Amino acid sequence: MAERKFERKTILDPAVADLLIGMEQRQTEAQMPRKERERISRERAKIQSRRDQRATYDLPPSIRESIRDLAEDLRLPASQLVTLALARFLSDYTNGIIELGKYKQPSRSPRYDWNLVFPESMYPKKRKVKGSD
Amino acid sequence: MIIFAFANQKGGVGKTTTAVTLADGLARLKHRTLLVDLDPQGHLALSFGLEKSPGLYRWVCLGESIDAVKVEIRPNLHLVPGDKQTEKVKRQITLADFRETILADLIHETDYDVVLLDLAPSLDVLHLNGLIASDWVVIPTRPDALAVDGVKEILTTMAEIARSGHRYRGYSILPTFFDRTTRETFLQFQDLAKTFGEHVWPPIPQDTRVRETAAYGKTLWEYAPHSTSIEGYSDGHQRLGGYRQVLGRMLEVINGRA
Repeated sequence: MAERKFERKTILDPAVADLLIGMEQRQTEAQMPRKERERISRERAKIQSRRDQRATYDLPPSIRESIRDLAEDLRLPASQLVTLALARFLSDYTNGIIELGKYKQPSRSPRYDWNLVFPESMYPKKRKVKGSD
Repeated sequence: MIIFAFANQKGGVGKTTTAVTLADGLARLKHRTLLVDLDPQGHLALSFGLEKSPGLYRWVCLGESIDAVKVEIRPNLHLVPGDKQTEKVKRQITLADFRETILADLIHETDYDVVLLDLAPSLDVLHLNGLIASDWVVIPTRPDALAVDGVKEILTTMAEIARSGHRYRGYSILPTFFDRTTRETFLQFQDLAKTFGEHVWPPIPQDTRVRETAAYGKTLWEYAPHSTSIEGYSDGHQRLGGYRQVLGRMLEVINGRA
C-alpha cells in the first residue's frame, strides 16, 4: 500500500494568503523565458481590461436559455445580444415607452421598496427541440 | 478596556506610525482611545504636530492625574506624550515596589475603550511594563532578516512574561515597508507566514506618503486617506493590506472575534 503523504496546513489571514499567491505567481513568472512572460502579461492585461465589463444578475432560466439559443443561431456572442437588449430597454425607459408602474408590487425587503412582478406571458416559451413531438 | 502594545526591539520598523494611524482610525470610529508614548524620543507628539512634553514622567513619577497630563489631540483621541524625561521614569520604576505593574495599574484607573502603547526599541523596565500592561501585542516588522529577528526577541520576552502568570489575549505580526515586487520581501513574507501563520496581519505597503505625513504633523487619514498605505494593493475587486484592513483586524480583536 502506498504511503500516504500528510502535509501540515498553515492557517493564514485571507488577505495574507491572497497576497502570497500573487507574489508566488510573479516570482515564478520572473524565472520564465521572456516570450512566455510577455504572453502571460498580455493575458493578464486582457483579463483586467474585461473586469469592468463583467456583471452578475439573477435572471429567469428561460430568458437565459433563450439568449443562449439565439446567440448560437445567429453565431454571435451572448454578451453582445444582452448589451443590445439592455441598451434598447434603457432608451425606451428614458423615452417613456416602457412603464414599470404596472409591474410594481411593494417589497418586504429592507433593501428595496418595490419588486417587479412580471406576467408569465412575458417570458419566452421553451423552444421545441428538433425531432421531438 | 483593551490595551495594545506596539513593540519591536528593532528600531525604524514603523511602530510609531502604526500606533498613530490605528489610534486615529479607532477614534474616528468613536472608540475612546488613549495613546501612551513610552519612548524617550517622544515622536508621538511630533507626529500630531505637537511639541514633546514630559506627560509620562508627570503621570508616573509626579503622580499627577491622567486628566492633568493627557492632551486631547482629536475627538475621542488623547495622548500621554513623552520626551527625554521618560528616561527618569525608567530609573524611578527600577527603584519602586511592584515595579512590573506600575503602568498597568495606572492605565486601569482610566476609563478609555482602547489604549495603545508605543514602546521604545529597547529591552528595559519600561518596555517590560508596556508588555505586561498589554492584552494584545502588535509587532510591526520590516520584511528583512534583522527586523524579523526582533520579532523573535519580542516573542521570547512575551513567553517569559507569560511564564510569570500574565495572560495575553494574543499577538499579531504586522509587515511594514512592504514592497511586493522584490524577491527579498517575498521570501521574508513567506517565511513569516509559514512560521507564524494566522498571527501575520495583512502588510502595509511601502508608501512615500507615510513619511510626508509625519512632516506635516497630520495622520494618514487626514493627509492621504486614499494612499496605498491606507487602502492596500488593488487586486481586482478587492484590496490587500493597508491600514484600513489592519484596522478591521484590530476591531475583530476589540470585539472578541479574533
